[in-house]
Amino acid sequence: MNFAWTDAEIAFRQRLRDFLAATLPDDWERFSQHGPASPALTHYAETFCGKLADEKLLTPHWPKEIGGEGLDPWHQTILAEEMWVAGEPRGGQYMNVNWIGPTLIRYGTPEQQARYLPPIAEGRALWCQGFSEPGAGSDLASLRTRAELVGDSYHVTGQKIWTSYAGLAQTCFLVCRTSDDRKKGISILLVPMDTPGIIVRQIPSLIGEGDIHEVFFDDCVVPATARLGEEGEAWSIIGYSLTNERLGIPRYSLARAALDRAVSIMQTQDEFTGEAVKIEAAHCAALCEAARMASYAIIDRRARGEAIGAESSSARFATVMAERRVAEFVVEYLPEALADAHPYLKMHHQRGIVAGIAAGAAEIQLNIIATDVLKLPREPR
Amino acid sequence: MDLALTGDQVAILDALDSLAKPFASPPTHDIAFAVVSADLDRALAEGGFLDVAFDPDLGMVTAALVVERLARLPFATAAATSALVRPLFGGDAPRPICLVEARQSKRPTRFLREGALVAAVGADSVSSFVATGDQVRTEDALFAYPMGSLLVDPVRAATTTHEIAPDAVRIRWRIALAAEAAGLLAAALDSVSAYTTDRQQFGRPLATFQALRHRMAEAQVRTNGVYWLAMKAAATLDAGDAALAALHAQESARSCVYDFHQFLGAMGMTLEHPLHLWTCRLKALASELGGRGGQALAAADAIWG
Repeated sequence: MNFAWTDAEIAFRQRLRDFLAATLPDDWERFSQHGPASPALTHYAETFCGKLADEKLLTPHWPKEIGGEGLDPWHQTILAEEMWVAGEPRGGQYMNVNWIGPTLIRYGTPEQQARYLPPIAEGRALWCQGFSEPGAGSDLASLRTRAELVGDSYHVTGQKIWTSYAGLAQTCFLVCRTSDDRKKGISILLVPMDTPGIIVRQIPSLIGEGDIHEVFFDDCVVPATARLGEEGEAWSIIGYSLTNERLGIPRYSLARAALDRAVSIMQTQDEFTGEAVKIEAAHCAALCEAARMASYAIIDRRARGEAIGAESSSARFATVMAERRVAEFVVEYLPEALADAHPYLKMHHQRGIVAGIAAGAAEIQLNIIATDVLKLPREPR
Repeated sequence: MDLALTGDQVAILDALDSLAKPFASPPTHDIAFAVVSADLDRALAEGGFLDVAFDPDLGMVTAALVVERLARLPFATAAATSALVRPLFGGDAPRPICLVEARQSKRPTRFLREGALVAAVGADSVSSFVATGDQVRTEDALFAYPMGSLLVDPVRAATTTHEIAPDAVRIRWRIALAAEAAGLLAAALDSVSAYTTDRQQFGRPLATFQALRHRMAEAQVRTNGVYWLAMKAAATLDAGDAALAALHAQESARSCVYDFHQFLGAMGMTLEHPLHLWTCRLKALASELGGRGGQALAAADAIWG
């Protein structure tokens, strides 16, 4: 076991920090309070991601033959950590480079890769993920949005909900039903959002403007060539995608940075003095670092080419614990941060609520841990 | 960063597992709060497992791995301080080493008995003496370790003052505590998982009820966190890392111990089931070095000044 970063990893992190310092505008922290999917941040993210791409820092973990640098998962983690600590200036594009792109690289046809990967690698693409439905949230396999194959096209009808980035996305990673089999009847279509028949309505959210939406599909005609993978293959593709998604967001790093910022503010105000506040801050730090190490243990396995599975749910739940405790710490000891006094902490607080809900609810992670890590017998259905 | 076990570490843990195999199950003839084995202690010492940290090529992480693995046994061993703290005192220091805080030396102490090396860790100094029979009293305690209490002030009784920084001892003490707690939590959770998988109520295994499953899954998350924080602290010997590891260990002990017994129902009240051999050791660890508050203040001081 070696817990030290290599010289190359240290240099890579410093390079990212230098880039962020030179690139982000002076008022970035206040600006970043715009929701991650807001028009303002989405527009800025295009500029920012373009500059990242110019520096070969947008998709450095992608294979070289796809336009990446072929860097290992540790570099991907360092990149994600530095971006999240900075308030994720990539906006919704983080999703492209973390899992949309890798999923297309693994499962996409040459035509799909040629169409979709270059815009992602150049920082020009925004995707949304059409997963949840009014009757299919945690129970995703209950989804009802149907895609009927008619000739060489699918006719898509149904509704998605709580869809992030849908208002401005160009393409939807749509999970839909192509037969009645509960899991083997689910397929994935890559659907341009300007397809006739798609209606998007924004849902006001705690995270900020433009974050979540309802998306209606009314007999949308999508060519069969837009299907990702085989018919009925969606469940395994989603598993691959969500594993990337769960590990691709190092929320522990932002939580720890928010904690350190809160303590620093309290120290300047001479408020980090009593034992109670110090004890609570230390509990927060312990949870942040436990989540970090649980995540690193998974990343280490990935770096060695080993399969990862349920253990990523354990790391994810550890992160939820850390996010919540830090958010509660700020609520209790620095409540002015939820007003306008400290934009960085307000940004963290707004985004923190997502931790236990998006990409599979925390309770689903506990179910996975119980069944696949502890090997407990399944609940009856 | 490379978190895989080295070839040496794999070999040592494999050898340790072979050595410990006869001690993997609790003795059926000796139902007690604490079980120890002189044979196990002797085999560990003779095999050099408690001296791995003296070897710079193996170091503290390997020692922490040994401690974590041994803590999973139902038998209590004084491995943690021997493997992780004793290197500070030198290879001639007798075993077991019983660490006491100079200001709270009246508390029951693990493995304290005649012949043990008592190390008093004060604010500014570390001193020690080998306990005589009239300096200690054996305690009949509700902890699954053999416990004793000091009948003398350890600083006044000390025969040696060491050129060791007290904080260096505290860092290793915290790592030892966390590594041992990680093994205890893992073994207790394994035991509870097995029981609730077998035990049927309402026509199905207890482990199929979500009320239990989620809490056991949370215990897995905590156990995993304690393990990795302990190993990282062993690698860095950083005061903040060590305090966070010990804090997470003690907080997780608080969070899990009563839940584990609860999941066993009435069996969780018996000595027939070995669960207490791990949970009652966790209870003993919970108060060391000032408990959670002590670790948290140490962590805050190390991290934020």
